[in-house]
Amino acid sequence: MTSASVPASEAPPLRDAHERRIPAPVFWELVAHLARRQLDTKHQLTLLGWAWPLTRQLAQLAVLVFIFSAVFDLGIDDFPVFIFIGLIAWTWFATGVGDGAWSITGQRHMILLSRLPKAALPLVAVVVPLVDVIIAFPVLLLMLAIGDELRWSLLLCPLLLPLQALLMAGFAWLAAAGSVFFRDVPNVVALGLTLAFYLTPVFYGLKSVPAKYEWVLELNPLTTIIESYRALLLGEPGPGALRIALVAAASAAIAIVGYLVFQRLEPRFADHQ
Amino acid sequence: MSVPSPSRQARLKLDGVWKSYPRWTPGDRTLRGAFSRRLPLLVRSAEQLWALRDVSMLLAAGEAAGLIGHNGAGKSTLLHLASGVGRPTRGRVLLPENTASVLSLGELFDPDLPGRDNAITAAMAAGMRRREAHERLPDILAFAEIEGFEEAPVRTYSEGMRLRLAFGVVAQLRPDVLLLDEVIAVGDMGFQSKCMEHIRDLRRKGTAVLLASHSLDQVAEECDRALWMERGEARAQGEAGEIVALYRTAMQHETRARTPTDDHSEDSAESGLLLGTNRFGSQEAVIRDVALVSPAHLPVQEIAHGSGLTVSFMVDPLDGVLERPVVSVTITRTADELTCYDTGTDGEGVTLGQVGEPLRIDLAYDGLTLLPGEYWVDVGVFTAGWGYAYDYHWRAYTFRITGHASDNGVFRPAHRWHIGA
Repeated sequence: MTSASVPASEAPPLRDAHERRIPAPVFWELVAHLARRQLDTKHQLTLLGWAWPLTRQLAQLAVLVFIFSAVFDLGIDDFPVFIFIGLIAWTWFATGVGDGAWSITGQRHMILLSRLPKAALPLVAVVVPLVDVIIAFPVLLLMLAIGDELRWSLLLCPLLLPLQALLMAGFAWLAAAGSVFFRDVPNVVALGLTLAFYLTPVFYGLKSVPAKYEWVLELNPLTTIIESYRALLLGEPGPGALRIALVAAASAAIAIVGYLVFQRLEPRFADHQ
Repeated sequence: MSVPSPSRQARLKLDGVWKSYPRWTPGDRTLRGAFSRRLPLLVRSAEQLWALRDVSMLLAAGEAAGLIGHNGAGKSTLLHLASGVGRPTRGRVLLPENTASVLSLGELFDPDLPGRDNAITAAMAAGMRRREAHERLPDILAFAEIEGFEEAPVRTYSEGMRLRLAFGVVAQLRPDVLLLDEVIAVGDMGFQSKCMEHIRDLRRKGTAVLLASHSLDQVAEECDRALWMERGEARAQGEAGEIVALYRTAMQHETRARTPTDDHSEDSAESGLLLGTNRFGSQEAVIRDVALVSPAHLPVQEIAHGSGLTVSFMVDPLDGVLERPVVSVTITRTADELTCYDTGTDGEGVTLGQVGEPLRIDLAYDGLTLLPGEYWVDVGVFTAGWGYAYDYHWRAYTFRITGHASDNGVFRPAHRWHIGA
C-alpha cells in the first residue's frame, strides 16, 4: 500500500435503520427537555400560570369540604387535610394516565424522531404532573402545621411516589399503545378515571365503607397508596406492610406488562399514523 | 489484493425491501370497526397493498442518489424506512448510526412550541447533547434564516420556514448518510443553492446522500445515480443523467397515451386547440385563457426587443383536486425550432400545493432580450414528479419580437463596444 494514500477513515458499521437509538445520556436530557417544554406551554399563556394547578385543587377541595362536612357529615377528623392528601395523589394519577393515553397519538411529530425510544413519551406524561404535587406540597405542610399535625413520618412520603409512578407508567403505556390502534381508548380511559374517582377513597376513608364492600376498594391499588400517604401524614392506622408489599408487586407487574405490550406494538406505530 | 478505498465503503444498503401498510377504512381505528370486522385474517392479508416491492440499492460514501417517480411511487416510504420510521415488511435497510434526515411528510415539529425549542428537540433527537444543541442554536437559526421568529410557535410558520428550520438543524451535523425528502424544492432559490452547496461539501467529506426530488434537472445535475420508482418498484436505476432521460421519454409516451382521442371540448374551434395535434395530456385538468400580455396588461402579439412580456393563463382542475402540480412555460423559436428558454415551477422553488379551484398563473419576463423574430410559447401543467401532462398546449401561441436584426444567435445581452485606449 502506498503511503500517499489517504488514511482510510473507519468505515461506520451498518445496522438496521429502525434499530438506531440516541445515546443514553442524550436520551435522558431529551426527556427532561420535552418535560420542561410541556410545562412551559401548559402554563405560559395563562394569566395565573403556574398557580393554576394549585388553584384548581384548592377550589375542588373547598367544594368537597363544604359538601362532606356541611351537607353530609362523614365524621372524619382534620377533614380538609384528609381530603387534600387524597386529592393531590388522585390528581397526579388522573392527569398522568389521562395525558399518557394521548402521548403518542397527540404528538405525531414525535414519530419522525425515529431514534427516540417512544416508551419515553408516556413516561414524560407521568412525570410532568408531578410538578403539581410539588407545588401543592408546601400548602399541605402549612395546613398540617396549622392543625399541629406535623410528624416526622411525613419524611417517608417520597418513598411512596415511585410506587405510584410505577403504577401510573404501566397504565400510561397500555393506554398510549392502545390509542394508536383504537382511537376510542382515550375516551375509555377518561370514563374509567371519572368512575375511579368515586371508587377510590379520595373524599372518604376506607373506614366509612361498609365492611362487606371493603374488598372492592382494596382491589384498587390506589386505595392502598392513598391510605399510606394518610398514615404517614396524619398518623392514622396504615394499610399494613403486607398490603403495601402486595400493591408494590401489583404496580410492578402492571408496569412490566404495560412496558412489554408497548414495546411489542411500537414497531407498528408508524404504520398507523 | 485490493484495499477498499474510503470512497467505496458502502454507506447504505437496501436489500430486497418490501413494505405494506395495513389498509384502514375510516371505521377501522375504532373499537366499533374492530368488532364489525368479519373478514378472516387470511383474506385480509391477501389484499395487502405493497408500498414497496423488492427494492434494492447500494450507496457508497460520498455518492448521491436521487429518487424520482410519481407521487405515490414509494419514494417517501423508502425514505421513511431508511430514517427508521416504520420497519420493512421484508428485507433490510442498513445504514450507519450517524444518519440524518429531513422528512417532509407528516408534521415535523410540535406546532405549539416555538421554533427554538423545536430546533433543540430535533438536534437532540439527532444525537446532540443538550449543551451542544444550545450552543449550536444561533447557527441553526442563521442557516434557516428564521432569526427573529425563533420565539414564535411553529404553527405560525410557513411550510418553507419549517423545512428551512429542519434543514438548519441537519446542517449542523456531520452525518455519514443524509436522507432528504423533497425538502430543497420548498425554499427559495437562494436557500436552495445554499443547501446544495452544503450537500456538496458534505459529500466531499464522505457523506452519502439519498434524496427524493420532483426536479429532474436537480437530480441530473447533483446526483451520481438515480433510482426511478414506479408503483413501489425500482423501475430503473443507474447513472443519473441516463435515468432522468429515460424517465422524460416515458413521460412523453405517457402523456400521448393519456391524451383522449376524441375531442369533446366545446371551445376547440375558437381556441384553435385540437387534441392530439397541438394539445396533449389526460385533460383531467385543463389550461385555458392563455394570453400574452404587455406590462401594461394589454394583450400583445408583438413586443419590442427587450421589453417585458407576461404569459398568463388559468389552470382549471375541473372536478378534481390536483396535488402539487407542476407548471412549465417554454419559448421556442419558430425558424429553427430551437428551445430558447424553458422553465418550470418546481425547479424554481414555486409550490402550487393543492389546487381544487381554477388558479390564475402569470409568468412575467421582465425584459426579453431574445433576438427579433417569431416565437412559440408552450404551456403545460403536469403531475407532481412530471409523470405525465394533464394538459399541454404545444405551439399554439405565437408572438413576435420586433427590432432590427443585424446580429446572429439567440439573445442579445446588454453590451457596449470600446475601441482603443
